[in-house]
Amino acid sequence: MEATREIYWNIGHGAVIPMYLLAIAAFGVMAWGFWQRLPIWRQGKALNRFDRYDERVKRMIAEIFSQSKIFRVKEGGIFHSLFFWGFLTLFAGTMMVMFQADFFTPLLNVNILSGEFYKAFSLVLDLAGALALLMLAGLFIRRFVARPKGLEIVRDDYIVLQLLFAILITGFLIEGARMAATELQQNPALAIFSPGGLLAAQLFATMSTETLLVTHKILWWFHFVLVLGFFCAIPYTKLRHILTTSANAFLAPLEPKGSIVTINLEDECAEQFGAATITDLSWKDIFDADACTSCSRCQDRCPAYATDKPLSPMKVVQQIGEMAEGNPAGNLIGTVSQDALWACTTCRACQDICPANIEHVNKIIEMRRNRTLMDGAFPGDEVRTATGNIEVNGNPFGLGFASRGDWADGLDVTLMESGAEVDILYFVGCYASFDNRNRQVARSFISICNAAGIKVGILGKEEKCCGEPVRKLGNEYLYQMTAQENIGLIKGYSVKQIVTTCPHCFNTLGRDYRDLGLDIPVEHYSTFVNRLITDKRLVLEQDPEPFTFTYHDSCYLGRYMDIIEQPRQILKAAGGRITEMDKSGYDSFCCSAGGGRILAEEKLGSRINIERVKMAEATGAPLLVSNCPFCLTMFEDGIKTGGFEGGIKVRDLAEIVVERIGGHA
Amino acid sequence: MKLLVCIKQVPDLESRFKPNTEGSWFNEADLAWRMNEYDEYAVEQAVQLREQLGDSAELTVLSIGPDRVVEAIKKTLAMGADNAVHIQDPAAATKDPWQIASIIAAYAKDKGFDLIFTGMQSQDRGSAQVGVTIAELLGYSCATTLVGFAFDNGTVTAKRELEGGIKGVVKLKTPALVTCQLGLNIPRYPTLPNIMKAKRKEITALAVADLLTVEPLARTASFHSPAKKGGGIVLEGDVDNLVDQLIGILKDKTAVLR
Amino acid sequence: MKTLLVGEYREGTLLDSTYELFGFAAQLGADTAMLLVGSDGQLPAYGGTLYLADAAVCGEYNPDLHKKLVLEAVQKENPDYIVFVHSSYGWDLAPRVAAALKAAQVSEVIAITPGGFEVGCCNAKMRRTVKPSSAKAVLTIQAGAFPVLKPGGTPQVQRLAAEGSAALEFIGYEPAEPKDVDLGRAEVIVTAGRGVGKKDNVAVIAALAKAMGGELGASRPVVDAEWVSHSHQVGTTGQTVSPKLYVACGVSGAIQHLAGMKKSDFIIAINKDRDAPIGEVADVLVVADVMQFVPKLTAKLAS
Repeated sequence: MEATREIYWNIGHGAVIPMYLLAIAAFGVMAWGFWQRLPIWRQGKALNRFDRYDERVKRMIAEIFSQSKIFRVKEGGIFHSLFFWGFLTLFAGTMMVMFQADFFTPLLNVNILSGEFYKAFSLVLDLAGALALLMLAGLFIRRFVARPKGLEIVRDDYIVLQLLFAILITGFLIEGARMAATELQQNPALAIFSPGGLLAAQLFATMSTETLLVTHKILWWFHFVLVLGFFCAIPYTKLRHILTTSANAFLAPLEPKGSIVTINLEDECAEQFGAATITDLSWKDIFDADACTSCSRCQDRCPAYATDKPLSPMKVVQQIGEMAEGNPAGNLIGTVSQDALWACTTCRACQDICPANIEHVNKIIEMRRNRTLMDGAFPGDEVRTATGNIEVNGNPFGLGFASRGDWADGLDVTLMESGAEVDILYFVGCYASFDNRNRQVARSFISICNAAGIKVGILGKEEKCCGEPVRKLGNEYLYQMTAQENIGLIKGYSVKQIVTTCPHCFNTLGRDYRDLGLDIPVEHYSTFVNRLITDKRLVLEQDPEPFTFTYHDSCYLGRYMDIIEQPRQILKAAGGRITEMDKSGYDSFCCSAGGGRILAEEKLGSRINIERVKMAEATGAPLLVSNCPFCLTMFEDGIKTGGFEGGIKVRDLAEIVVERIGGHA
Repeated sequence: MKLLVCIKQVPDLESRFKPNTEGSWFNEADLAWRMNEYDEYAVEQAVQLREQLGDSAELTVLSIGPDRVVEAIKKTLAMGADNAVHIQDPAAATKDPWQIASIIAAYAKDKGFDLIFTGMQSQDRGSAQVGVTIAELLGYSCATTLVGFAFDNGTVTAKRELEGGIKGVVKLKTPALVTCQLGLNIPRYPTLPNIMKAKRKEITALAVADLLTVEPLARTASFHSPAKKGGGIVLEGDVDNLVDQLIGILKDKTAVLR
Repeated sequence: MKTLLVGEYREGTLLDSTYELFGFAAQLGADTAMLLVGSDGQLPAYGGTLYLADAAVCGEYNPDLHKKLVLEAVQKENPDYIVFVHSSYGWDLAPRVAAALKAAQVSEVIAITPGGFEVGCCNAKMRRTVKPSSAKAVLTIQAGAFPVLKPGGTPQVQRLAAEGSAALEFIGYEPAEPKDVDLGRAEVIVTAGRGVGKKDNVAVIAALAKAMGGELGASRPVVDAEWVSHSHQVGTTGQTVSPKLYVACGVSGAIQHLAGMKKSDFIIAINKDRDAPIGEVADVLVVADVMQFVPKLTAKLAS
C-alpha cells in the first residue's frame, strides 16, 4: 500500500472555499492591525532605511533563519530558537499540504506527498511538532516557574503561550484521530513515521468510528480557528514581533556602529534640536518600540541599571512606544526622566545584545541633545565647569592649553608645527596629555614606536579635546566647534595615518569626523601595535617572564569597533596568560566613564567602576589590563575607593608591552 | 528701557603668565581667553531683567579691546543681549581703570541707559574700580558687590555682599549702575537656537580714539611673579620639629596666625 | 607725607580692620588723620585727629554722603593718600572719592615697595607695582596684608556732618545664612584626603581646621567613602576653591583635586609620600604621617 494520506480526509473538499475565505479574513484582520499602527509610526521624522536593499534583505534572512541574535543568550535563547525552527517546519509542512491539496492534485494531478518522501515528511513534521511543544513547555516553565529577574508577566504571555500550546496539541490530536480511524487499521507500518500521531491515537483507541469521525471534524475546525486566531492576534499581542522584529533586521542601520546624526549647524532655519517629544524622534525610533519583546536582555546588561540607577534601556524603549500611542505631544524627557537620560554610559551593551535590532543609544543621545542644546542643561555643575574648560582651554580639566604637549618633553617625538615628515600622527587626547597616570601610557606608546622605528608626530598645544564626551552628552555645537578646529589643523599637515591611545578619540576621529570632512585612516594603538608585532617591526623579548592577567574590553573598542582579539594577542605575545572575566568581549561591562560620564560625578546608585574591579578581582588574576584612558582612570579610582589596594593592579596595555621590548628588528 | 552690560575678556587664570617685553603686563602668547567671570553674572542678571521687561527693553553689550573680544561679545549676544558695541582698542590692557571708565562713560553719556551692569572686578586686573567710576562720571546711583537683584517700577532692590556672609539691602532709583558678584545667579549656558540668532545680531564697532579724552592717573611700573613665598619647601624629619617649623612658616608667610 | 585713613564701622561697632590702616600708615612712615562715620561710643584707640560723623545721621552705608564727608576731610587735611581697607565698604567708596578728586586709585595694596605699591593680579598668580601719577592718590589695602596696629590714646575729634538726598537708600542688614559649609568663601581650608585612613580620623583634620579658623575640605575618595558630606568636596567635581591658606592632609593630588585648589594663595601639603603630585603645587610639603603630625600641630596652635 502506498505511503500517503488523504488530505481533507473526513473534512471534505466542501471545506476548501469557506476555509480560504476565513483565512483571507484572518489575514485581513492582521493587516488591519498593522495598518492601524502605521499612523503611530509615522508620527516620527523621516529617515531612509530602505536603501541598499540587497544588503538589508540578506541580513534579514540570515538573522531570522539562523536565530543568531536570539541564540547569543543561551538561557531562553535555546528554547526560542528551537521552538522557532520547529514551528517554522510545521508551517512549511502545512504550506506543502496546502499546495499539494489545492494546486498540485487538482491542477497537475501529481502527488508529491507519497512514498518515501511522505514518510520522511511525516516523521520530520511530527518531530518538529514534538520539539516545538517541548520548547514551548521550556519557555512556559522559564516564564511562569523559573521567572528570571527582569522578565515580567503580562497579559500577552498568557494569550500567546496558551494559543501556541493549543495549536500544537490540537494538531497532534487531529493527527491521532485521523490515524486511529485510518492508518492504524489500514497501513499500520506507516504509522510508525508519525510517532506523535501514534501516541495521540491511543486516546481514541476505544472510540467508535462515528464518534471518532465527529471528534476529528470538530478538532480539525477548532485547530483551524486557533490558527486563524494566531494570525489575527499577531498585531495585537507580543506576537507582533514575528513581523516587527523581523522587519527590524531589515531596517537596522547599515552605517558603522556608533554613528550619530551630525546636525547641520549651517541650517539657519533650524529651531528645534534633539528630541523633546515623540515627534522629534524618527519613525524608526517609534517602530523600535513595536519590535521590542520585553526580553529584558538590554536591561540585564545595562551597567546603570545594574548599579541601581534609574535607567533601563528597555523601559525607555517602551515609554517611547506608550507615548507614541497615547500621548504623542507629551513631555518625553519628563516621562523618561532626566536622571535616567544622564545615567547612560553609551556602552552599547543594550544595543549589542538586542535580538530585535533596537537602537537604544541614539534615542538617549537625541533626548540629551534636547536638554543640552535647547535648555543649556548639564547633568551636574561639574559637567558645566568641564564643558567651559573645553571651550576655553580645549581640555576638561581647565589646564592651560599651552602645556598640552609638555608630557612629551625630552621624548623622541616630532611637533607637527615643525613641518618635519612623520609616519603617524599620534592624537594624544586630554587624559594622556594632562593626567599623570595616563601620561605614562603616552610615554610608553612613544617608546614602543621608537623601538619599531616609527616616527611619531603630535599636535602639542594645537590639539584640542576630540569632543567625544560633550557630544555624547548632547552638546553637538561644542563638539563640532572643537572637531572643526582639529580637522582644519590635521588637514593642514601632511598626515598619512592617525593613531590614538584613546578608544573615544579613535571612534570620534575615525568615524564621526568623516561627516565633517576628515578622511585620513585612524587606528587605535591596539591594532597598530599588534601589526607591528606580527610584521616583526616590533620585537618583543624572546622568553618574556610569564604573567597572569585579566583583560577589560573597552566598550568603544570591543562592541563599537570589534577589536577584541588583537589586544589579547599582544598580551599573549608578551608572555601573558589570560583569565577572562565572565563579562568580556562583546559582553564586557562598562567602566562607567563612557557617554560623557567621565566628566560627571556618579551620584546615583552604587559605583560602576567598583563593580567592574570586583569582577576583575574575582578572576584571581593580580593584574587588570585595559587600553583606554577613561577605563584606566576609573579602575585606578575603583581600586582605591573600593578597597582593592594591595590586591589587584591595573595597567595599560602599552605599559606591559614597553617593558618587554626586545632588540630592534 | 535701555540696559547696558559692560564685559571684559580676560585670560583664563589657569594660564602661565609671563611679563611682556615692557614688563607692564602679561605677554599674550599662549593665553586662552574667556569672559570675566563677574561679568558673566552681570550679563545673566541683565538678560533676566531684559526678559522680565519684555520687548519694551533693549540690552546692549559693550566691550573694549582688540578683535579677540568679539568672541566674548558673541557669547553675550547668545545669552540674550540685543546688540553690541565693540570699542576697538588693541592697547586696552595698557589703560588704567580711570581711562577705561572714561571711555565707557563717554560712550554712554548721551545714550540714556537706565541701568548699567558690570562685574564687581576683573579677574586679571582686579581693581574693582571701573563700574563705580562709570557711575560717578555719569552721575548714576551705584551699588557694588551684588548677590541679590530685583527690579520693580524704576527701583532696584539690591543685596550687597558684606564680609562674613552678611548682606546689606539697598534701594536705588534709576538711572543706576550695579556691579555683580559671585552668587548673584548662575549664568545660563547659551542654547543653540540663541547661538544661531546671535550670529545675525549687530555689533557696532567704534574707534577708541573717538571716546578717549583723558590721560592715565596711574601706571604699572612692573609686572612680575610673586617673590617665592618659600615655594616648594620640603620639610622632613622629627615630627615635633616639623610642627615648629611649619608654625614659623605660617606666621611668616600667611595672615592666618596673626 | 600724610594719609587720611577711612575707618570702618558696621552694625554699631568699629571694625578691627580699621587698625590695619594704622599698620599700613606706619609702614609708609606717614602722618595720619582718620575719618570715621561711627559713634562716640566706638572710637578707635588712636591719639590723632579723628573726623567723626554720626552714623546714626549719615548712615552706616550711604556712599553719597560718605563721599562728601571724605572729600570734606580731604579738603581740611590735604593728604597725599586717602586709604581704605579693600572691603565691601572700601572698594565701594574709594572709586567715588578718586573720581571726585580725579586722583589715581591703587586697589588692594599688599606691600609698599620702592617702585610703588605692590598689588596682586591674575588671581594672585602675579604682581604689579603701581605708581600713581596724580598728586593725591586713593588706596585700598588688602585685608590681612598689613599688621594690626593699635596706636593707643584718645582721638581729637572733629565733627563733620553731611546731608542731602541720597540716590541710594539703605534698607538694612540680612544676617548670614547658616550653611553646612561654604568652601568658596573660606579663607582657610584644611582638607582630609584618603591618607587619613579611616572615617574616625576625619575628626582630627576637622579639629585642625577649627584651630586655624578654617573650614574642613575633603578629597573625592573621602566623600565617596561617605566619611564627609559632599558639600566639603574640593576639586573639579566638588568646589573649586582659592583660599588664602590651603592645608592638604593626606591628599595625594589627583588631577581633578589639583585643578580645584591650586589657585589657593598658600598651600601646605602633609603627606607621607615625598613624590605625591600634591607636592607639585604645594608651597610647603611636610613629609610626615598625617595622623602623627596633625594632632601635634593642632595642639601647638591651640596653646
